Amino acid sequence: MAEEIEQRKLVLVARKPCFGLPTACPSCLPVYVYLRLAKASFDLRFNLVHPDSDQIPYVEYGEYVAYNNEKGGVIESLKEDGVVDLDSGHPSYDAAEWWAIVRSWLTDAAMYELWIGSDGSSAHKMYFSDLPWPIGKILHYKQARLVKQLLGITKVNVEQKEAEIYRRASLAYVALSNKLGEQNYFLENRPRSFDAILLGHTLFTLHALPEASTLRTKLLEHSNLVRYTENFKTEFLEAGSSSSIPRSPHEPSSSFTPKRGTPPNWGTKPKSKPKREKTEEEKTFKRRAKYFVATQLIAILVFLSLLGGSDEADLDVDDDDGMNYDD
Amino acid sequence: MADELEDQLNEEEIIEDDEDEDEDEDEDEDEDEDEPRLNLERRELDFFKRLSEKRVPLRVHDVLIKGNTKTKDSLIESELQVFKKASSMQEIIEAAAIAKARLQALEIFDSVVITLDAGPPELPGTANVVVDVVESKNPLTGDIGFFSKPEARSASIEGSLKLKNLFGYGDIWDGSVVYGFDQTSEISAGIYFPRLKGLLSPLTARISLLSQDWLKFSSYNERLLGLSLGLITTKYHDLAYGLTWRALTDPSQTSSRSVRAQLGHSLLSHLKYTFKLDRRDSPLRPTRGYAFVSTSQIAGLAPDSRSLRFLRQEFDLRYAFPLGYYGAAVNLGVSLGALFPWGNGYTNMASPLPERFFLGGHSSPVCSFRGPTTLLGFKTRGLGPSEPRRFAGRDALGGDLAVTAFADLSFDLPLKLFRQTGIHGHLFASAGNVTKLTENEFWNFSLQRFRESFRTSAGFGIIIPTKLFRMEINYCYILKQLEHDGGKTGIQFSFSSPL
Repeated sequence: MAEEIEQRKLVLVARKPCFGLPTACPSCLPVYVYLRLAKASFDLRFNLVHPDSDQIPYVEYGEYVAYNNEKGGVIESLKEDGVVDLDSGHPSYDAAEWWAIVRSWLTDAAMYELWIGSDGSSAHKMYFSDLPWPIGKILHYKQARLVKQLLGITKVNVEQKEAEIYRRASLAYVALSNKLGEQNYFLENRPRSFDAILLGHTLFTLHALPEASTLRTKLLEHSNLVRYTENFKTEFLEAGSSSSIPRSPHEPSSSFTPKRGTPPNWGTKPKSKPKREKTEEEKTFKRRAKYFVATQLIAILVFLSLLGGSDEADLDVDDDDGMNYDD
Repeated sequence: MADELEDQLNEEEIIEDDEDEDEDEDEDEDEDEDEPRLNLERRELDFFKRLSEKRVPLRVHDVLIKGNTKTKDSLIESELQVFKKASSMQEIIEAAAIAKARLQALEIFDSVVITLDAGPPELPGTANVVVDVVESKNPLTGDIGFFSKPEARSASIEGSLKLKNLFGYGDIWDGSVVYGFDQTSEISAGIYFPRLKGLLSPLTARISLLSQDWLKFSSYNERLLGLSLGLITTKYHDLAYGLTWRALTDPSQTSSRSVRAQLGHSLLSHLKYTFKLDRRDSPLRPTRGYAFVSTSQIAGLAPDSRSLRFLRQEFDLRYAFPLGYYGAAVNLGVSLGALFPWGNGYTNMASPLPERFFLGGHSSPVCSFRGPTTLLGFKTRGLGPSEPRRFAGRDALGGDLAVTAFADLSFDLPLKLFRQTGIHGHLFASAGNVTKLTENEFWNFSLQRFRESFRTSAGFGIIIPTKLFRMEINYCYILKQLEHDGGKTGIQFSFSSPL
């Protein structure tokens, strides 16, 4: 009975908490914020050893799993499958242009700042501090290279790309700040899934990036965005509503398998494609073909062995000799 | 020459010869004898009989090595230490045979000929040993074989290139590609020094990239990048250190919860000690004797507390005795394995998935010492704890404590053709069980429940040993299995390595 109840519980598996945030990874924060805004009761577990996985964060609910790289993301999966739907009753296409701004310009900017623009200490703390040093170093290097490829940055165009990224981020902040105004939430003054992804970004930028970060400085110029973020933090993160952020007993036990954030996930299409279900006929055919080939092979080998059977006696004798002379 | 030696034996003292006394280890026949053949053969037999019965005091004065251009003298000399202790002709001949076998075992010579020559005339009762080696002209050799390596879990095909004796220390450099029948593939390169700078034991180092596909059974892929150093390798003992980077992934995204929690990277820094004592008369078809193998592994030998930490122990015990007729023999065996993590909070920790014990598979338990892995009649990873996957199917999770036991009666088949080729039949029965102990399951462990949930199978079959591999065609009947086990009554084929 207890197992059934436990299985029906929502579990969010995200990356490590740090910088005063329940999870500091920029792809895990939006999901966390979404669940908090929806006032869903969930356990938070951590995976500390898989920084290069684009399956994290994921949400488990009994046997159901919503991976980060399926159906457009965890939030989309949860909405579509009716598990947690913050936008119920509202058309899903509104705020589409704002989604595009956050998902492309701001996401790119945060990715750049985390892996290339800053000294890498934030990324190290978030993703690699629980991996043994050689693995952490190599994976960090691999991730940084991957981000450069994703953003199209080469040795020649670094400065130009950087300027472009920051410019777009600035524009995005200005537009978002104007739209937000003095409201508490972005659309119609009530929490929506868009707030989750925007707050995910702003929480990360304000708290996880170093103080000297250019992106952080740009965000600080918009006091209403800062206020919007801090309000959420005060209300949901520091209010001590521990029923929704329990440290799950599983967390220390899976000490070598907590999972890490997936920066390479940004901008990449979901990698997994559903395998084409083989028809029954194909399966039977393949099985029969395998048996046929195996029988032929065995017949040949038996024939050869009967021919060459007398050689084995010699082989044994040699082996015995060899064993005797070893020390 | 033979006559003179006979005289010596008769007088029980050595008379110095002016002529050389050549005694080839291969015992060439004497040539150019005009005496009748029968007489000569009888005298030779007489001579060798007396040689083996009476003691002729003789010691080795000097060892001369010829024919080595690349190979270092020190390497060859280190294999000739046996001559120092020899004090009679019989012992010298024995030592010569041992030395020759050891030099040939280095695999860097095309031929080794050891000759006994008379010692300097001023020192009676001495002999010189002349070692004539012919180094392999072509240091590069290629090989394709069917093996069963300890790291791989089942039989595999291996192609390798070997570069021998590059630096003259008997060093063997090899690169190999292995494809295993359990969806394993491996690329590796290694070096082997038989006796580097006076070390007693050969030194091996190997770097390998291994990829193992367990998606069908447990929904994960395993990739290993490892460095292993063989520290001590003797007939009974083997100590090796390994440093491995392991990554578990699930590209299918259908794994069960427990497997999902284990995906990620880990560093394994471990020491593995194997003690092997095999006193059976044959490794392929044992009819008499016993064998005991113990494998201990301790992981977490790094100052970094973030590397994997666990203790793993396996025991294999085999006993065989003959029944006397039809070449029948009974083989009994028991294998035991236990795995436990250590470190902070070890009672709550889950054991690493790839290190657990998985029961099932088709390899024969009679010949191999792989710990508790085989239960004939059950498919690979076919029994033990399992968990439902995301969609259909179940993941085999393995366990931390496993026991298997078997009894096997082998006998010759009536046809002479079968007996000559080594094909024989067998009846067998096996039992096994595996359970989880970690994550606080240890407190729920009950010996009685463990005993009651043993799975058992029995059957009969034919064993066909060939030079390349050993094949078994068995009919297995599952006597007891639990829900979710993958046992199947019916005919099965199994292949294992001849080694």
